[in-house]
Amino acid sequence: MNASTATASPPPLTRIAPDNWKLAILVGVLVSLVAVLAAPAAVSFWIVGAMAALIAAAFAINAYRRKYYGGLLVAPAIAVLFVMNIFPLLWSLGLSFFAYQSNQQSIRFVGMANYVKVLTSELTATANWLALINTAIFVIFTVAAQMVVGFLLAMLFAKQFPLRKYLLILVLTPMMLSVVASGVFFTYYYDPTFGILSYVINALTGQQFVLMSTKLGAVTGIVFADAWMWSPFVMLLVLAGLVSVPKYLYEAAAIDRVSKWRQFWTITFPYIRGLLMLALLFRTIEAFKLADLVILLTKGGNDTMTISYHLIRIANEQNKTSEGAAISYIMLFMVIVLTNLYLYLANRRSQGA
Amino acid sequence: MTVMTKMKGFAAAAGLAATLLTGAASYAVADEVTLTMAVPDWPPTRIMKKFFDEQYKPKSGNTVKLDVDFIPWPDFYTRVNASLTSGEQKYNFIVSDSQWLGAFVEGGYYRKINDLLDADPEFKKTLMNIHPNPLNAYSTYPYKSENYYGFPQFPDVLVNFARKDIICHEEEQKNFQAKYGKKLPCTGEELDAMTWDDFKNVGEFFRRKKGEMLAGAPAEDDFYGIAFQAGKGYDFSSMQINGFIWQMGGNIWDETQAPTGQAEGVVNSPEAVAALEKYLSMLEYMPPVAKTGTMDIFKSDELFREGKVAMNIDWIGLGEASLDPKSSKVSDKLVFGQMPGTMGPDGKMVRWSNIGGQPFVLTTWTTDAQIKEAVEFVKWWLSDDIQHQFAAGGGQSAVKSVYEDPKYVTYRPWNRAWAPQLDWQKDVWHVPQFFELLTQQQDQFDLAITGKQDAKTTLDNIAKFQQEVLKSGGLIQ
Repeated sequence: MNASTATASPPPLTRIAPDNWKLAILVGVLVSLVAVLAAPAAVSFWIVGAMAALIAAAFAINAYRRKYYGGLLVAPAIAVLFVMNIFPLLWSLGLSFFAYQSNQQSIRFVGMANYVKVLTSELTATANWLALINTAIFVIFTVAAQMVVGFLLAMLFAKQFPLRKYLLILVLTPMMLSVVASGVFFTYYYDPTFGILSYVINALTGQQFVLMSTKLGAVTGIVFADAWMWSPFVMLLVLAGLVSVPKYLYEAAAIDRVSKWRQFWTITFPYIRGLLMLALLFRTIEAFKLADLVILLTKGGNDTMTISYHLIRIANEQNKTSEGAAISYIMLFMVIVLTNLYLYLANRRSQGA
Repeated sequence: MTVMTKMKGFAAAAGLAATLLTGAASYAVADEVTLTMAVPDWPPTRIMKKFFDEQYKPKSGNTVKLDVDFIPWPDFYTRVNASLTSGEQKYNFIVSDSQWLGAFVEGGYYRKINDLLDADPEFKKTLMNIHPNPLNAYSTYPYKSENYYGFPQFPDVLVNFARKDIICHEEEQKNFQAKYGKKLPCTGEELDAMTWDDFKNVGEFFRRKKGEMLAGAPAEDDFYGIAFQAGKGYDFSSMQINGFIWQMGGNIWDETQAPTGQAEGVVNSPEAVAALEKYLSMLEYMPPVAKTGTMDIFKSDELFREGKVAMNIDWIGLGEASLDPKSSKVSDKLVFGQMPGTMGPDGKMVRWSNIGGQPFVLTTWTTDAQIKEAVEFVKWWLSDDIQHQFAAGGGQSAVKSVYEDPKYVTYRPWNRAWAPQLDWQKDVWHVPQFFELLTQQQDQFDLAITGKQDAKTTLDNIAKFQQEVLKSGGLIQ
């Protein structure tokens, strides 16, 4: 809390005291190193865990003695984050440098070999690249569809009209449905024998219509289902921006006889730009992870395999744990680059404006 | 990513906890033994649990409980795989698809039972009373070796589900005879005698648009002659295609020939290519969903029960629903036959088919006290009396004395096609790489089914992949 006054004299490294966190780190690292090198993995795992707990305890006692109550208050959250999130993340990063399969007992250090394999191996890399390209296609089309539809819906619902409240609930329903329910619904919707889509088109054209029989059709089907589910999310965000625009700005603009188009770009858009960016960011990250709808609608057939579904198969079905970890980290890297690119562009725009 | 990493992170902790728990359970009370079992949630396993609760009296005098975890089919593999690889050691018994044997034996999860068989001649006799084809498929790793692992839970084969009201209709019979110069099969025996060419004719013959005459009345909806599995998921095309390949003289990579047997040249042999071409040539006579790569065993069954097709090749395991008027529009119009075959050069029918069904296996961490009770339970399960009851309740039995009993064919209408087909069952690979081989093969078959590549390219790609994977796994020299 009041750090500058409390930490007048940090304890010297050599003093043995429960709050000497520097010593705790030193001891922890040394003991862990010895344990990892000397003891079997099942034992050293627990020793390293105990050392991590020791260091954490030293930090906590140190914070208590020096009255960093703020730090103490967030400590449980950080501990949970570490155990549930950061530790598994680092663990899998570690695994990606080993040859390891979860259903076999052996483990061997291979350095970058997994990364080289998933990106260049003749046997496996082709499937990875195809899945990545498909993922890119889905990211572009689903996000574009959701942004446009969501934005238009928001413009519609920003106005007052009869039954608006009920229609709004109706429009929001897809977002609240479970993906599995929507997936099953769309499976039947697109089904050539039982589905209404084929029924209507067959009746109109007299030709047998099977949407999911081509890649174009299958991608369209998945994009439509995804847009149906997630456009309301974009709408909600944009709507929040739209209702926050002060009315008097429009009144002033009306007095100045500013055209509707110009009103939109100079008054409305600056208010919703941040939220649009946020929606774009969320939806891009989500679209990058698209697997559920693909599994439900095509099982990856008709060349609609996405990298996420591919990863599920490699890591969870084929038990190629370390190869899966390598793909995960490549995906993570791509998402981080992509989001930073967005944020950079967004910041440059807002600074320029 | 997170599921996987968390799983590994907590593997050790969960393992320790499980050891403590099971340890405590087996030592604290000597006369109460709990057997924990992972099973797919469907009638054959529900019946087993019901029989156990109602009828099972352990000879040892102990109180034996069967704690069954019913897991929905679509999640079944994922859940079992996660449980085993995480090291939680939760289950003593696991219902396992036969293809999983290698992967989980090599992982050290499935217990070899040869010592138990040697120690108990009665147990051995029970197991050897099973037809050798299902026994090899469900119990051996490597396939057809003398290493035994499993016991049949629900044995299964592919049969022909057909609509009597359509195929036996006088008008249709007459027209079919006129068009193909052959009688349209109507009875079970006539269905048994069908070749794939006859099957294809049925498909071509019964393709009707809505409003066209079908069996004396205008069709209410588009109607199709035939259906079989052609889906991308799990093994929903391989199980059918393998039968075609074997029947027409081709082969899949044969693990009993390892390490000298090859994939390249075998998997993509001219016979295999011709077989796949034959399989693909029938898709155009099937409901249009076949073109999307989503016509799995459940879809073709649904189309059949909704009355959209005249004949469907599917597992017996899905048959109960078609007999039930609540779930089937055709429940009172059914006739069953063996899966079509291929006429061999000697004029005899060749009927090779891929076996279905599942064994259940013991896990390596099961304690001695549990194993003792488990063996008694398996002996009880495979006893004639219980197997008869199981078959009468909708199950199947691979025990010779049971299915050879004249009563057996009276239990269900498809049972007449059961025993003769057992001699023609083979299994797909049991090797640890099975899932890798299967997913790649299913992906390739899907490309062929949806018309993106021809049979030759498909099998060339599969052969090349299998050759490399199996070579790096040391199974091909």
